[in-house]
This record gives sequence, C-alpha cells and structure tokens, in this order.
Amino acid sequence: MLTELGDEGVQILAVSPDPNEKSQELAQKLRARYRFLTDRDLEVTRRYGLLHAHGGHKGQDVARPTTVVLDRRGVVRWLQLADSIQVRPDPADVARAVRQLGS
Amino acid sequence: MIRYGPALLSVLLSLAAIAGYIVFLRVAAVRNHPELYLVAFAIATLIAGFATWRAAHWPNFVALGLSVVLLSLGGVFNFVLAKIPAAPTVLHVGEPAPDFTLPDASGAPVSLASFRERTPVVLVFYRGYW
Repeated sequence: MLTELGDEGVQILAVSPDPNEKSQELAQKLRARYRFLTDRDLEVTRRYGLLHAHGGHKGQDVARPTTVVLDRRGVVRWLQLADSIQVRPDPADVARAVRQLGS
Repeated sequence: MIRYGPALLSVLLSLAAIAGYIVFLRVAAVRNHPELYLVAFAIATLIAGFATWRAAHWPNFVALGLSVVLLSLGGVFNFVLAKIPAAPTVLHVGEPAPDFTLPDASGAPVSLASFRERTPVVLVFYRGYW
C-alpha cells in the first residue's frame, strides 16, 4: 500500500472490480488517502486498455496492475504497467514521481 | 561414512528462497525480482546434482529431485503463468487520461475530472481479491 503518500497532498484512487467497503475501512485505519472505486464490469478498465482477460485465479477477467501519476491538469506524468502479476511498483518510485510534479 | 552436507545445503537453500520471498513480499526489491528465487533453485539444483554425481545415495537424489521440481514449477509460473500479455493502452506519458465516473465504497459517484485543477491523482488499477 502506498501509505508513504499520505502527506504528499495527492488523491489516491484505487480501481478494481471488488465492492470495496472492507478496503475503505482498512485504508481509514491506515490513515491513507485512498478512495476505492468499483469498476464492477471492468468497463473503465477495458476502455483504458488495461484488461487482463482470464487473468484471475478463477479464470475471471481482472485488471492489469497499473499505477498512473496524473498532474493537476489530468495529464499522465508517470506510468507503470505490470507485465507480470508478481510485480508491483515500488512506492518510493511513485512518491518520487509525485514530488517531481511540484506544487 | 558418507557426508550429506551438500544435499542438506541444497534443500536449505531452496527452503530459504521460498521463505525469504514470502517474508519479504512487501519489500519492492524482493517482490519485483521473482527471478531471485529461480536463481536460488538453480544453485540448489547444481549443488544437489554435483553431490549425486559424487555419490549416488538417496539423500542426494531427494535433494536433486526437490530442487529440479521447484526450479521447473517456479520457471513455469514466472515465465508463463504470471506473464500478462501486452495490450495497447490509452495511457501515454504527456497525454491526458480519459475521464471516467465510478462509484466509491459508499456508492457515491466519483469522476476523475472532479480532481482537475485541485490535486494531483495517483490512479491505481489492481486485480482485486474475488
């Protein structure tokens, strides 16, 4: 979890097909600035080109793990697309990308 | 007296690689280099293979069998099962991300555009848990 970003003045939006009450409770406990969004049918994930078809552990469609840093104008400034389900971005890299946006 | 130090070393190396990967899964350098456990399994296979070549006794065969199985399973998982096919995405550095609106945990709609001119956004797509 990107708890390192709590003080960076940034909004974290976490998108998955899950209904996310539990995740939101957890994030509040960790005092992380997460907002969990539910992409039930993966419509946004598909539109973004981030669908990993049959990639879930039960063969269901899931999202390709992806982390995007957007500046205040909504422009992509940093992007990491996973090419393996084992890999996640290093929170330190994300935090660095956010700091480089300036304020 | 036959010594099984190399066989034991081979088994311990494999087990340490598995335990280390699990224990340090939250450390990005470990998680993002899954090939490290394959290197450990390969070294364990070499040690056990050498021990078996020196002395064809069952502890050496057990160590060799274990490390070969782990290396094979780990290799298939890492290079085949875990791979995500590359697909074109609409996201490009320097270009705006397309807008969307999705419900949050309480059901309230949240649009990406609503953060524009207000705050930077870290947008994370994750696999979900079920």
